[in-house]
This record gives sequence, C-alpha cells and structure tokens, in this order.
Amino acid sequence: MLIVENVRKVYHVKEKGSWLRQQWKEVEAVSDVSFRMVPGKIIGLLGINGAGKTTTIKMCSTLLTPTSGTITVDGYDAVKEDRFVKAKVNMIAGGERMLYWRLTGRENLHYFGSLYGLHGGALRSRIDSLLLQVGLLDAADTPVERYSKGMKQRLQIARGLINDPSYLFLDEPTLGLDAPIARQLRKHVKELAVAHGKAILLTSHYIHEVEELCDEVYIIDKGKLVAHDTPAQLTQSLNLETALHVVIPALSASLDLDLHKLAVRCGGSREIAETDEHTWEVTLRGQTDMTTPLLSLLAAHQSPVLRLHTQQPSLEDVILHMADRRGA
Amino acid sequence: MKQLTALLWAEIQKEHRHSFHSKMVYFSLLIWPAIMFVTAYYSFAPFRTGADSPLARFLSAEQLPLFLLTGYLGYIFFWCLVQSAWQMSFERQAGTMEMIFISPVNRLAFLYGRSLSSLVEGVWLFFCFTLLALLFVGGMHPSGWWAIPLAFFVLLVSAIVWGGFLSVLFLFSRDASFLYTVLDEPMLIFSGVRLPPLAFPLWAKAISFCFPLTYALQLVRGLLMEGAPLSALAPELALLASVLLLLVLVTVVLLKKAEKHMKETGNMVMY
Repeated sequence: MLIVENVRKVYHVKEKGSWLRQQWKEVEAVSDVSFRMVPGKIIGLLGINGAGKTTTIKMCSTLLTPTSGTITVDGYDAVKEDRFVKAKVNMIAGGERMLYWRLTGRENLHYFGSLYGLHGGALRSRIDSLLLQVGLLDAADTPVERYSKGMKQRLQIARGLINDPSYLFLDEPTLGLDAPIARQLRKHVKELAVAHGKAILLTSHYIHEVEELCDEVYIIDKGKLVAHDTPAQLTQSLNLETALHVVIPALSASLDLDLHKLAVRCGGSREIAETDEHTWEVTLRGQTDMTTPLLSLLAAHQSPVLRLHTQQPSLEDVILHMADRRGA
Repeated sequence: MKQLTALLWAEIQKEHRHSFHSKMVYFSLLIWPAIMFVTAYYSFAPFRTGADSPLARFLSAEQLPLFLLTGYLGYIFFWCLVQSAWQMSFERQAGTMEMIFISPVNRLAFLYGRSLSSLVEGVWLFFCFTLLALLFVGGMHPSGWWAIPLAFFVLLVSAIVWGGFLSVLFLFSRDASFLYTVLDEPMLIFSGVRLPPLAFPLWAKAISFCFPLTYALQLVRGLLMEGAPLSALAPELALLASVLLLLVLVTVVLLKKAEKHMKETGNMVMY
C-alpha cells in the first residue's frame, strides 16, 4: 500500500531583486495532504490548474522531496529508501515528451528497461508483450518521430509499465487525444487496475474520465485536500442543483406564472428561453426532483411536451462549486 | 556486473541513435578537428620556429606537427565530453531526465556510460585520422608497441572522468551552458594543446594545472613523442591517477548534492 501522510511541499521562489540582494518567497504547493493507494483501485486527484496535483504525483514517484510529512510504499520510506520505492512505481504523463523521438518504440523501451536492470531475453520478451498490449507491435521498429500523438501516448503507457510497477501515476494521460483513442486508453487503464491489480492515481481535466474510471476521488484546491469520496457520493453530498429541461410549443402567461410558483415552492429557480424552432425551453433548477409536479402542471395547462431531460450535477460542478466557495 | 554492462550498452545504443544519426555528423566530427589542426599549424608559419625562437626552448620545429596532432587529439577527446554534458539540457527539455531519475539506475553508471558512448562515437574517426597523420608526418618515437593503446586508454579514461564531472555540473542548473564558454576555450589555450605549459607565465601555469587534459597530454606525448619508458612516466601516471581520483570523488559528492537539489527545488523539469 502507498500511504501519504500529512505531506507538505514548499518551494522557495526567487523574486525579482537586485543583483546583490535577492529576495525569496515561500510558495506552499501542497499542504497537509494524506491519502492511500490500494492495489486494484484507481483513485482520482482532481483540482483546477495549480492545485498541487502534479507536485503530489512527483513526490509519490520520488522526483520531489516533501518538505514535511511521510510517503511510504509497501513499508519503504520514499525519501530514505527511495531506491526500493523507485522499483515499485512509475509515472505516465500526457503529451509527447519523455521519449527519445529519433529512437524506435522498441529502442525506447529497451533503454528505459535497462534503467531498471532488465536485460537480455527477459527484457526482449517484456518489450514484445508490452508492445502487443498497447497495440504497437507493427510499429515497433519505426522511429517515434513518425508516430501519431495517440501512438506516442500508447508508447508512454508501455514505458510506464516496463518495470511492472505496483503503483502507477497517470498525469493527464489522455491529454489532447482523439475520443476513440482516449476511450481505448481508458479501457486499458481500467484493465491495469482490475486485471493486473495495479494501484493507480489519475489526474485528468476530463471529468467524465474520472467518473468512469475512479473508485475514489480526492479533490485538491490550493494545495489542500478539500473532499474525498466516491464520485457519486461527492456529487450527492454537496446537494447541488439538478437541472430539469423541458421544451414546449407555446408558453401562456398563466403557465409562466405557475412555473415560477412551482420553482419557488421547491426552493429552486426557473429560466425560460425561446429556441430557434420557435418553441420554448423551460429550465427548472433545484435540489429536489421537480419532474412529477412539472408534468402535472403541464398536463393541467394541456401543454404538450416536445422534449424533457434531467441534468444531474457532475463532478465538474462539484469542483467548480468548491473552487467558487474557497475563492469567495 | 551484467546489469551494468547492459546499461552501458543501452546508453551507447541510445546515444548512437539519438546524437549520431547521420553520416554528416561523422563527417563534421572529422573535418572540424582536422581544420582546427591545420589552422593551428599554419598559424605558426609566419613566426620564427627555428633554434633562436622563444618556443625552441620547449619544442623543436620538427616536433611541432606531432605536438599539435597529439594536442588536438587530446583536446577532441575532452571537447566531445563538454558537448555531451551540454546535451543534458536536451534531456531536461524532452522530459527524459525525469524518466531517468524516477528509475533506480545507478546515477554514476548513467553519467559515465553517457560519457563513454559520446566519446567513442565522437573521436574514433579523428583518432584514425591522427594515427594516419602521425605515420605520414613521421618522427614518432613510441615507447613500445603498447604505447599507442596505452595513450588511447589514458585519454579515454581521463576524458570520461572529466565528462562525468561536467555532466554533474549541468545537472545543477539549466543555465550551466555558460560553463561551455568558461571551460572550452581556456582548456584549449592552457592545457598545452598548442603550446607547452612550461612556456606559460606562472599564472597561466596555475590555470593549466586545473585541467586534467594537461596531465593527460604530458603523458601521451611522453609515450608517443619521447619514447619514454613506463618507469620514467610513472610519476606522471601517478599524478594523473590522483587528479582523476579526486575528480571522481568530487563527482560523487556533487552528484548526491545535485539530485538532492533537484528534488528540493523541482528544477529537473525547468528548461
């Protein structure tokens, strides 16, 4: 198990000063963060830019030293016994960096494998198996510079798995990828956790990705963990408003008034907009479900319903809500 | 040991594919030092090099081509490593440095492996050219059949140790490229590549002894030009070994400090 306890990271940043007198200021990137990574589970770390997600991942993967607090991986201290920890972790970041572009996919994996002490037949068979796993076997001997963005990302995944890590950190792994390739990668990530028992920490700006993949979500804001639960529980716990959208062909003054009264009675609000098709879209927002009283009301006014759909609050709403609340 | 060999081989293969990917690179690695050598040789032409010249106290006119050839050979060995260390900034930009430091690889093996591969790729062509030129110029007095391989070995080890030291300095900061300017030209001037250090004034002699190339060149010239027996070169060999050992120790200490610094400041990703 990977245990992060009360971890804090402070950077000393040089401020503009004269040649002789430099001024430094402390910037707290991560503050008192604690969480656990368990084999077979995917946890999400969410937050807006600069929240401290990447710093947290880099501390867990031994690339940064925490200013205070402890990180242990299967009982090994990530700072004092980093040699043992390094063998158990790996990181995959989105984008096209972290690869040697002039080398082929196979050569890249061979090089990175040798950094983990792998060699000979064991390394060769591991490379073949990974290339097969990520669907790059046919392009194995093509220089990376000729790969598409999706292929480079798949090679990144193979690179991140070269040492068969127990703990995998995925920092925006589907950044800039086309939808079908991103979907394929998500499927692969899920398999890594479920079928191969990897503990995975995922950061992503694509909230649906987190909702789809993560068993638990930690929300980080300005370096502090502000919430932790399952994606479903997080959206429920904040009692965010559900939006009910209904499209009707005509809107009389009396119906408008009754809709307003319904919204007020349910403690919500209503918005009305005329659509391009000369129909009316009514949106009722509230913490309670207004579907039944709305349908009764429309029936009473003999108003046909052209379209009706409910928009549940998403994890994105949770993050934005939390960011607004903390910013206020 | 098997792992270490595998790592060195992987590093050599990577450097070969990454930095020495085209025939033009090899061509430039031959033509550039050759031009430098020719330029240096003809720079002496307008000046007196006869028995009454100031240089004659340290070097005869007949020895000049050999002196310059051995000087430039040694310089190219060390210059390749300055270039290789400079390339560390590429590893930062590409994000591959993070991937190296996230792994448990032996850092010292990585640094020296990197230096070795850059060096062998960078100098073999000029080394062959120099050997041919030495035979063509004539006047060589090698200490024995073993003098040429030993001279190559001396230059190889000295340059690798120097390269490891420089690479560590480049790990400290993304702005370490200024070292290229600070180290390259003074090394060319003060290490005895073109002029014997004994001909320098005292202050310049002091600078020349800061570069391991100075000691390596003394030894190589002793082996190839003066035909000195190994016993006569023993003190110089011991001195070079001591300097290199000191440099290795400094490299080990600095490497630990550099990694600690990178982990504290997060500058590994800054480029």
